[in-house]
Amino acid sequence: MKPVPFTHEIPKSLQLADKALTGDNSKVMAGGQSIGPMLNLRLVRPTTIVSIDQLDELQTVHIKGDVLSIGAAVTHAQIEDGIDDVDLPTMLRHVARSIAYRAVRNKGTIGGSLAHADPAADWVSAMTALGAQLVIRNAHGKSRREPMAGFMRGAYRTALQQGDIIVAVELPTAMGKALWGYEKICRKVGEFADAIGAVVIQPDLKYARIVVGATEDAPLLLDDMAREMARTATAPSLDEIDGALAAHLPGASRVKRQLLKTALSRAIAKVIPS
Amino acid sequence: MKVIVTPAAANQSISLTINDRPETVTVPPRTTLAEILRDHLDLTATHLGCEQGVCGACTVMVDGRPTRACLTFAASCEGATVETLEGFKDDDLMDRLKAAFHRNHALQCGFCTPGVLATARDLVERLDTADEVRIRNELSGNLCRCTGYVGIVESIAQVIDERRGLGLPSTGAPRVAREATTGFAPFDADIAERPPAPAVSSGTMTVEDGWSVVKREVALNHSADAVWAHFSDLDAVAECLPGAKLTDHDASTFTGHIGVAFGPITAKFEGEGTYRTDDSSRVGTVAGRGKDRGGQSAVEGELSYTVRLAQGDPDASLVDVGFRFRIQGMLGQFNRPELVNGFVDYILAEFVANCDAVLSGGEVRESKGISAFAMIRAVIGGKLRALFRRT
Ligand SMILES: Cc1cc2nc3c(=O)[nH]c(=O)nc-3n(C[C@H](O)[C@H](O)[C@H](O)COP(=O)(O)OP(=O)(O)OC[C@H]3O[C@@H](n4cnc5c(N)ncnc54)[C@H](O)[C@@H]3O)c2cc1C
Ligand code: FES
Ligand code: FES
Repeated sequence: MKPVPFTHEIPKSLQLADKALTGDNSKVMAGGQSIGPMLNLRLVRPTTIVSIDQLDELQTVHIKGDVLSIGAAVTHAQIEDGIDDVDLPTMLRHVARSIAYRAVRNKGTIGGSLAHADPAADWVSAMTALGAQLVIRNAHGKSRREPMAGFMRGAYRTALQQGDIIVAVELPTAMGKALWGYEKICRKVGEFADAIGAVVIQPDLKYARIVVGATEDAPLLLDDMAREMARTATAPSLDEIDGALAAHLPGASRVKRQLLKTALSRAIAKVIPS
Repeated sequence: MKVIVTPAAANQSISLTINDRPETVTVPPRTTLAEILRDHLDLTATHLGCEQGVCGACTVMVDGRPTRACLTFAASCEGATVETLEGFKDDDLMDRLKAAFHRNHALQCGFCTPGVLATARDLVERLDTADEVRIRNELSGNLCRCTGYVGIVESIAQVIDERRGLGLPSTGAPRVAREATTGFAPFDADIAERPPAPAVSSGTMTVEDGWSVVKREVALNHSADAVWAHFSDLDAVAECLPGAKLTDHDASTFTGHIGVAFGPITAKFEGEGTYRTDDSSRVGTVAGRGKDRGGQSAVEGELSYTVRLAQGDPDASLVDVGFRFRIQGMLGQFNRPELVNGFVDYILAEFVANCDAVLSGGEVRESKGISAFAMIRAVIGGKLRALFRRT
């Protein structure tokens, strides 16, 4: 189906993007790989589309002090391939290449994926596991930082307000040395996940996080399990994982729980080999 | 070459290079690259299957990279260099691929072939060696109904080998192998306490013969008499339902609409229905059906509610809500239990808060619209998944 008629603006700067976004029914477009299908299905009927993927500010990747900053319009394929001479954590490159298909990765952006907040999307869980921060610019050009944990409020629901633009995703550079496991279960390569398990342990930062994704809601953080895992350096048993999932996701079907349990136990096994 | 298409106020002129030829098209911004190619430049090798990025039939090279032409809109094509199957003139790798496809029976009906060849061209260039598993994985974004992929995989593998034989290096980034973990020394993790997740609602959601059936128990801090008085008044109920508006009703029938306008999704179901209330058992039922014109979906459903006394508190009551519905058309993938749960709970929470406010003598809170975020997920995720499943 054809999308409804809209005007399409491609502003040359973030300031101009702010202005273009003041319209009531205007929508940001980055790679268009999520909003595109919704336009074609007429689930989204905007009057104005504002493309931001060509803005230089959103395409830079750099390390400043101990922070790695990835521009919101950097594509999945760029992360998959590695960017210039910036040392990206291997986990990022691994996650990127399991997203969709190369033709989609060539256009889809990390910022678009986080803003879209599909519970089954990969960056949402991966960035939560890595303790990333989002740099968000509001309609008046002011910037704020929000931790990934909590940014996503529910399926397709985030802390973003009309006019907000994600500018960059920040990670401590030390995350490059973290122990990690990321397991995505889907029936077909490149498909959205049926279950995601992500584990990141960075002893130098006293950092431990266990994330369960693709629950149809915001990524689930299993903090007690992460604390215990760091304290003992041993993997929780399958029963313990199942118990935690049952407690946090009482509505989940048995099949879903089994998938989540499998994904998470595989991710943990990558960090603590049995 | 200049192609003029029906002028409309919002038309834009886009200049791009297609198959080494400069072209200018004047099209509305909603025009996709696939349409520019097919409808405006008569380059019909580029096929359209799903128009959602899933099937890969529309894949063409944009600035040297395989790209979905169905998800690329006109303005984004300004200045782009596009290569379609009609192009690739004097392209040694593409010529070799075509020969290999011929040799290996890598196509039957040919519908997927233009997109498959674009992907194949990219793989031949990028992949260092012909690794069958890798080739198959990378082909997962191009659906082929006919061949079973055997000939396609073989062709790509052969041309990768030919390229290596010619001494041409691959252009792809090498894959970094992850180091095996040897574990870590125990430490006390620094994890801040987070506020507990919101309570999970009580109730069930099942799918029966294509109908979603939702059951919930809702508590209200008002007497059962007051609640029933409110719930037996259709106007009052409609007023508390976010997005709903009655246009007309008599003693048992009504017409009206319910708008779902949140996040990027908008749907407005217009329809009619019947309702019945029974004062002695305090049971009400509302049945109706409606259509969403813009989104081309239809919904039908039945809502029933029973108002009961809450034990031990005359000023409190319980309402058993039962909701049976099905949605057809674009929004039809809504029938996914986990999503419907979240969605229904959101509406119910708004509805209950509104009823509470009205029963306490206040006003209906201004609705920000039903949070259809759950619905977007249901629709897009479900729709895409349904497509994947069918493959
Ligand atoms: C066939 C297919 C399969 C896919 N499979 C997967 C998968 O397996 N895993 C996965 O994670 N993803 C998958 N995706 C989604 C894909 O990765 C998208 O590219 C991504 O989720 C959205 O990024 P985008 O840049 O295309 O965003 P867009 O589609 O342009 O935008 C998405 C939403 O985010 C908003 N937005 C975009 N950028 C910003 C910004 N910087 N600031 C604020 N708001 C912004 C837009 O307004 C829009 O609402 C798939 C997509 C397709 C088509
Ligand atoms: S038509 Fe573009 S991917 Fe199916
Ligand atoms: S040859 Fe028929 S779809 Fe591939």
